[in-house]
Amino acid sequence: MSVSAARPALRRAVRCSNNTVKYSTAKSGLLSSPASLSRSFSSTVSSHSPKTPNSSSIPEYARPDPSRPTHFGFETVTEAEKRERVAGVFTSVAESYDRMNDLMSFGWHRIWKDHFVASLNPGFSPLTSGPDPRAPQHILDIAGGTGDIAFRMLHTAHNINRNPDVRVTISDINPAMLSVGKQRSQSLPATQQAVLNFVEANAEDLTKTRPLHSDPSAATISIPDQSVDLYTVAFGIRNFSNIPAALREAYRVLKPGGVFACLEFSKVDKHPLFNAVYKRWSFGAIPLIGQLVAGDRDSYQYLVESIERFPSQEEFRDMIVDAGFVVGGQGYEDLTGGVAAIHKGMKPRA
Amino acid sequence: MRPATTTLSRRAATAAITATRPSQAQLLSGAAIKTTTTAPKSRYITSLSRPRQMQQIQQTSSIQSRPLRKYHSYEHPPPPGPFSPTEEAILSAAYKHVPEHGFSLESLALGAREAGYLDISTTILPEGAFSLIRYHLVKQREALAARTEALFRVPENQKHVSISEKVELLTWERLQGNAQVIARWQEALAIMAQPSYIPSSLKELAKLADEIYFLAGDVSVDPSWYSKRASLSTTYAAAELFMTNDHSPDFRDTREFLRRRLGEASELGSAASAIREWIGFTATAGVNVLRSKGVRI
Repeated sequence: MSVSAARPALRRAVRCSNNTVKYSTAKSGLLSSPASLSRSFSSTVSSHSPKTPNSSSIPEYARPDPSRPTHFGFETVTEAEKRERVAGVFTSVAESYDRMNDLMSFGWHRIWKDHFVASLNPGFSPLTSGPDPRAPQHILDIAGGTGDIAFRMLHTAHNINRNPDVRVTISDINPAMLSVGKQRSQSLPATQQAVLNFVEANAEDLTKTRPLHSDPSAATISIPDQSVDLYTVAFGIRNFSNIPAALREAYRVLKPGGVFACLEFSKVDKHPLFNAVYKRWSFGAIPLIGQLVAGDRDSYQYLVESIERFPSQEEFRDMIVDAGFVVGGQGYEDLTGGVAAIHKGMKPRA
Repeated sequence: MRPATTTLSRRAATAAITATRPSQAQLLSGAAIKTTTTAPKSRYITSLSRPRQMQQIQQTSSIQSRPLRKYHSYEHPPPPGPFSPTEEAILSAAYKHVPEHGFSLESLALGAREAGYLDISTTILPEGAFSLIRYHLVKQREALAARTEALFRVPENQKHVSISEKVELLTWERLQGNAQVIARWQEALAIMAQPSYIPSSLKELAKLADEIYFLAGDVSVDPSWYSKRASLSTTYAAAELFMTNDHSPDFRDTREFLRRRLGEASELGSAASAIREWIGFTATAGVNVLRSKGVRI
């Protein structure tokens, strides 16, 4: 499906804010559990007992269902339709993606990404005696098409932490974005190119991946259970049709102790004044820049609407916990007052 | 004092001074003791007046199963503390490596391995190496309460241990908690002084001072509640720094240093209260003199 087919529908849906589709996770999954209020007095035993998510039985909302309604920007579509439309958006923006990121965030997205990678410190390992001084790591970069995060990971692991035993699998649902990344990777040192792997996959089902530009009828390869040390997704998860399903798939492929790390646009509600300016910029300027620079207003209209529809820091953290991960501290870190946020979760030991 | 002051007005002035110190009278009743432990830092009102939306999020959140209490309570068991079981597992294993590897990512990663996790697992700790320092601070502070009884055992020949003596004993006990990692403590202090960690470090220091005064049995509710804790915090921080360069056996010099500083602080405190008393007396007496002259005040 090309993006031009999506445009009329997009326009119709703009500003249709009375949308009734909500994130099913936070509402149905967690609100039903007994409330544990934070009280300063008369504490009861139940408020101290930790809640353990039951990850063995997958709730209904976390199973991908092509006919279930979800949202595409401010519009309500089915999960299957969203997948196609997102593919359309990113096929259309792939070429101008990096230039547009710089223009929209004043280059600040580079600082977020650098901080994201530095806070994960990939490849770090204490020196131990023996033939293999540094422990190997496998990093899976989901929705990492253009390689922004993956290349930074490799730089940190190989050059700063001196650990050549780190390999990165870049996965994206969109071959156009992957092609851009593949092209950019040609300028990396050969040692880094050798450990990069590009695969086409849907993040909700990582059992069916295929190498980039392979025959569509070729056999698919599965990413095995408990094979990944670090699962990253930067500015990608809000485009997923079924986020709970993707979180559970991340849980499956991670080793016990492995880390799920997500960098995503978030809410600035804590700073009302800055929030007003930020909203004005994102709804007023970004679609216009998209039209002028990339010649594609609708894709960037979708971008800002999808940011608006993405859950808040706390809600998303609760979705991560609901998928079975454990979080440290409050579970997220705000960047630039909450314009973006880093969420991390660790798969507990079995 | 002017000679015009009559015996009667002088007596009235003394009575007025007694009345301006309500705390001493209050302290004799048991009810006052209970309020002291809760009242100065109670958070009842803020927790009730939070916006509804916030409360709703907290109901759904598993993070809130670890509430942090801001006051001491006799009625309720202490909350589990600021670390989740997973964090606790990694940090307690990593803490054993501190004497060798310092408060560093190296120690954290070794600890994570020992606890059965991966090198990368340490990145969920929100503050990196500072988490390990905070772990040390929290654990040492919490350990004080358990040692209180042994510390305050009154010797045969002595009848009573005063609050200031108890404070000194507790502070010294806490300083000895640093002895094991003293070789690494300067580097920890350097990390604590980094701008992003200063607020958490100061908060921990304030909690320690509060804990020490609470355990020592201090129940004041006057403004000295704050000044005592502030002066103890500065004294403790200075002593901690002194200790990192102390090579005397059993840190004898540090103990002397601590005694001197606490002595100075109490001297200064008593001088300040004497001045306050003198000003209060003179002011009340002055008013009474004016009243005796017929001025309507």
